[in-house]
Amino acid sequence: MTQSPTLSRRSTTSAPAQLRKSKQRGADARAGYTFLLPWLLGFIALTVGPMISSLYLSFTNYNLFEPPKWIGLDNYTTLFQDERFLQSVGVTVGYVVFGTPLKLAAALAVAMLLNSKRRGQGFYRSAFYAPSLIGASVSIAIVWKAMFGDSGPVDQGLSFFGINLGGWVGNPSMTMPMFILLTVWQFGAPMVIFLAGLKQIPNELYEAASMDGAGPVRKFFNITWPMLSPVIFFNLLMETIHAFQIFASAYIISNGEGGPAGSTLFYTLYLYLRGFSDFRMGYASAMAWLLVIVVGIITLIFFRTSKSWVHYSGDAK
Amino acid sequence: MINRRHFLTTVAVGTASAGVLAACGTGSSTSGQTGSAENPVTINYTWWGNDDRAERTRKAIALFEEKNPDIKVNGNFTDFAGYWQKRATEAAGGGLPDVMQWDLSYLRDYGQRNQLLDLSTVNINTDAFEKSLLPSGQIKGKTYGIPTSTNAFAVYYDPAKLASLGIAEPDGSWTYKEFNEFLTEVGTKSNGAIFGGTDYTGVWWMFNIWLRQNNIQAFTEDGKLGFTKDDLKKWWNLTADLRGTGAIVSEERVTQLAPKSPFGSNVTATEVTWDNFMAGYLADSGAKELKLAPVPSDDPDNLGLFLKPSMLMVASAKTKFKDAAARFIDFMVNDPEVGQIFKTSRGVPASKTQRDGTTFEGTDKLVVDYEKSIEKYLKDAPEPPIVGFGTLEASFKRIASDLNYGKLDINGATDAWFKEAEDLIKQNA
Repeated sequence: MTQSPTLSRRSTTSAPAQLRKSKQRGADARAGYTFLLPWLLGFIALTVGPMISSLYLSFTNYNLFEPPKWIGLDNYTTLFQDERFLQSVGVTVGYVVFGTPLKLAAALAVAMLLNSKRRGQGFYRSAFYAPSLIGASVSIAIVWKAMFGDSGPVDQGLSFFGINLGGWVGNPSMTMPMFILLTVWQFGAPMVIFLAGLKQIPNELYEAASMDGAGPVRKFFNITWPMLSPVIFFNLLMETIHAFQIFASAYIISNGEGGPAGSTLFYTLYLYLRGFSDFRMGYASAMAWLLVIVVGIITLIFFRTSKSWVHYSGDAK
Repeated sequence: MINRRHFLTTVAVGTASAGVLAACGTGSSTSGQTGSAENPVTINYTWWGNDDRAERTRKAIALFEEKNPDIKVNGNFTDFAGYWQKRATEAAGGGLPDVMQWDLSYLRDYGQRNQLLDLSTVNINTDAFEKSLLPSGQIKGKTYGIPTSTNAFAVYYDPAKLASLGIAEPDGSWTYKEFNEFLTEVGTKSNGAIFGGTDYTGVWWMFNIWLRQNNIQAFTEDGKLGFTKDDLKKWWNLTADLRGTGAIVSEERVTQLAPKSPFGSNVTATEVTWDNFMAGYLADSGAKELKLAPVPSDDPDNLGLFLKPSMLMVASAKTKFKDAAARFIDFMVNDPEVGQIFKTSRGVPASKTQRDGTTFEGTDKLVVDYEKSIEKYLKDAPEPPIVGFGTLEASFKRIASDLNYGKLDINGATDAWFKEAEDLIKQNA
């Protein structure tokens, strides 16, 4: 369908034929936009519209019941005097900084293992991907809570080795490791992308390196890493953005409160509580926009710095 | 090719416009205010609670529909925390259910913001109610809520656990010092197997009762705080020596056990809370019997106790079926058969008609007897708390928990709570 009009366009010569073709192209475009229409309508009504109104609300005091009152930048300035807000930033940044690299390292390690030729590789790939299919769901968060609870399997397993930490869920200094383990365990999606990337690396490179006597470490840093760098970049970007948005598991494991002692008060959870428990929608909107801006800036920084370490094939090196 | 493309265009345009047209078609008008047996009106009713309450409510609804064939009731329920988040979004969209179970903490938030129907404008019989109770559903001369039932604060204890530790049951009167000693004794004698209780200073209503015992109002008439930082410091200092000992269960355990309570999980021997939690605690703990004692007080003549509406019935200001909503509320609060269905699981029925028509046995009788036994100490029910009170109550609990975790000291906790409270009051002024 997409090929044939292009081909026929090249071969046209006579004016009437051209007219006919351009009419046809107009019809094509109409059909295209008509098919896009349901999505476009949804995008405008459900995404762009609410975003614009939340931008407006972020400059107001809005409690859901009464019309919003314009207060200028007040929401944004009070944010930085709000201790719980600062705490939520700390919690989230800690999670992003530690969780994301660990998750990507796990994903890359498993992808490399699964890239070798071995019997039953298809089975292993599915098995390692499975946690990600169910990972974001409510049920896993509940299972996680039970596993890391008092006398849960993790507690019992560790006490077998003489480590008595008690339940992790109620211990403010253990909740963050628990959430990081949860995200690391859900490495499936970046792993699949890494695997696809690894398959793109020509085997000759490794063979040539072997001939020159390079060991596995050397091969990894001199072949795999640079060849895979666009994929690593992509995964790093996506996972960082995702990590900033963690909500469902935090909501469930802490019963929607961000406890114990505020140790799981993730940014989006606090945003939600502000909006829907305290009825401060203007404040919550300001938080949402601040998050959008910060994630945008981080993305920009990633792109800027990527030039120094991401190599695209065809780049002059 | 061209034909096929034209065909596709037509289909696409057709499909898209069909969707738009369908969307236009749903706004059909509803028929008038009242229904008939052949053509009943349907009202929506929503409540919070567990499966047990859902079962009882369904029975009550079935009975109501049987007696009122011209009204159908469409019931729906969630847990307490999710309940208020849902109501907030519904109110913002103008779609609150016709009739709702309500909590005193949120009456001002919605009543003062014109979301609730003034029930004095419809026909609900309140003759059988204590005159001192009704004001708690009223704000500035308008009646937004009718209490279904009352509850009072009490100390729960498990007599079997006390007996096994060789500790005498409380005699029904104790000071805070005696109560603390009692909690400590449980922790000591059980060697940490059972804690005395949870940190009662983390419970807003217990603090409120303590203020009343000291003749201090929690909130002033104009919606400001009626107590000082020093009052709150004194309160949180009451259990300062108990935190981290066997007298009080650690916050780690409380968090692990949530949403179940430590008392319901047989981790503590006592709990200080509302007396209508009896049925829930019995079910959770599997204990054969649980008993109630009055709250501690340093002034034996002033226990600071009061009957609070454990829940209220309210209607949406925007309901199209005022008459049907009023009849349903009247039925739920006054009908003796409804009392038989709920017993004390909503609290002790507030309407005398309903209370007298209900037979209370076993633990239900304990609850009713408890409320009778404290009758002479009861003072007027508090006014509906200030706007945003639900948030204040939650932050009180959270900051007291930070205190127990050692994240904040008493001065820091007091400053943190006052900052949030003052910010909230300013916000809603």
